[in-house]
Amino acid sequence: MARPTSFGRDTGLQVRMTLTMFLLGLLYVGFVVTMIAVGVNALLIVLIAGGLAAFQLFGSDNLALRAMGARTVEPHEAPEFHAMIERLCIQADLPKPKVAIANTRMPNAFAIGRSPKNATVCATTGIIDLLSPAELEGVMAHELTHVQNRDVLVMTLASFFATIAAYIMQFGLFFGGGGSGDDDDGPSVLVLFAVSFVVYVVSFVLMQALSRYREFSADRGAALMTGRPSALASALVKISGGMQRIPAKDLRAQGELAAFYIFPPGAGKKLGSFFSTHPPMEKRIAALERLEGQLQGR
Amino acid sequence: MGFFDVLTGRRKLKQPAPTDRVFAMSTAAVTLQLELELTTAGKAGIVFQPLATADFEGIVRDMEEVVRGTGEETGTRVSSEDDAFGYRWLVLSDPDVEDLVVGINACSTALEAGGYGDRILCAVFAFSDAKGGKVYWIYNYKRGAFYPFVPAKGSQQRDNERELRLKAQIGSELPVEAEFERWFPLWGIPI
Repeated sequence: MARPTSFGRDTGLQVRMTLTMFLLGLLYVGFVVTMIAVGVNALLIVLIAGGLAAFQLFGSDNLALRAMGARTVEPHEAPEFHAMIERLCIQADLPKPKVAIANTRMPNAFAIGRSPKNATVCATTGIIDLLSPAELEGVMAHELTHVQNRDVLVMTLASFFATIAAYIMQFGLFFGGGGSGDDDDGPSVLVLFAVSFVVYVVSFVLMQALSRYREFSADRGAALMTGRPSALASALVKISGGMQRIPAKDLRAQGELAAFYIFPPGAGKKLGSFFSTHPPMEKRIAALERLEGQLQGR
Repeated sequence: MGFFDVLTGRRKLKQPAPTDRVFAMSTAAVTLQLELELTTAGKAGIVFQPLATADFEGIVRDMEEVVRGTGEETGTRVSSEDDAFGYRWLVLSDPDVEDLVVGINACSTALEAGGYGDRILCAVFAFSDAKGGKVYWIYNYKRGAFYPFVPAKGSQQRDNERELRLKAQIGSELPVEAEFERWFPLWGIPI
């Protein structure tokens, strides 16, 4: 006779996320149809982009870690950190990911890897020093939820055709010129170019929205895993303070990694929330407060 | 977890597996003692996340009361403590493994009835070998399976060889976790 619980339920978020992915799918179907209709080496482009995406998914984990200045640590090197992650893994029913630590004062954490069995979670020495154990646990639970939700895989797939559109915009004329050799090749190349541009812009906005929604669900998953939404909220407050104090020069260069940070570098700036990968701090904290309310008031 | 759940990021904590599997320990303990010379250390513990909600501490208190109540007949003693990672341990002491198993099951049943079954991590049964070394069998509630955990000398070292041997020796008497990457150590076990 387990009590009915509303803890962690957020139907609105799921509806918005599904709608966003549906729109992305629709856009991409239109894009593929256009590519086929125009018929300019679409297969070649898909193969090249597919190869790059596969490389990103299967080969780039170590590269990304090295770019961050992170290295995987053995249990005896960081015993408490390992033990904390092990307990979270038992609770979330996940296999243990590789654990890495980046030696930088900037407080941050991220997760990479295409599947739970190939995942690495990383925290900086800055975040380990800054946060209390319960707060750090909330942050690592957030990263483990990214792993469990396969966010790297989902975002890579979601960006697949957007990447193709970007290639076409860059090399459109080159690929178009190598087509059938017909004289009326010109207008179709222009159509493809224009369609690619539209696909690129629209999918960019949709993907940023998708990324924000997945941040919200990682926050929610972390709150479920630890049962302490407020600990994550206070961690976010501390990190955002730290992020604004300490310059983020090294990490800001890693633009494509930004989506998987607990808190994106440079987020202290006034960016249009429409174009950012992470929801604004206030909204995340408000969502966590709602979760704490659900937890308490069941 | 389904494909759609991955897409929409829906998250639910896994509830405990059907609890009858924990009872395999009461018969396996006989084999452990007779064939492997592992005698019970007379202690078992259950570890869970304490939540800061209004009714949680009440449910935990009721749970302790129930185990104490039955303990008056069986002689089981109960104590609880919080560890360094913020998890709560309920430690049962009784020389009879069967009473320990019944007590542990009473704890998990009480937590589940209170709606907090998803907060239980593991139950731990402590044994000692002929030389006095500690051997633990850990029951993972989410997976419904046991695995051995043998701490070795040195800080946070474990004797993997011994653990693998134990898995082979116990055979099919215990449901043993098949994936080695889920043989999570628990450091600082208070029993």
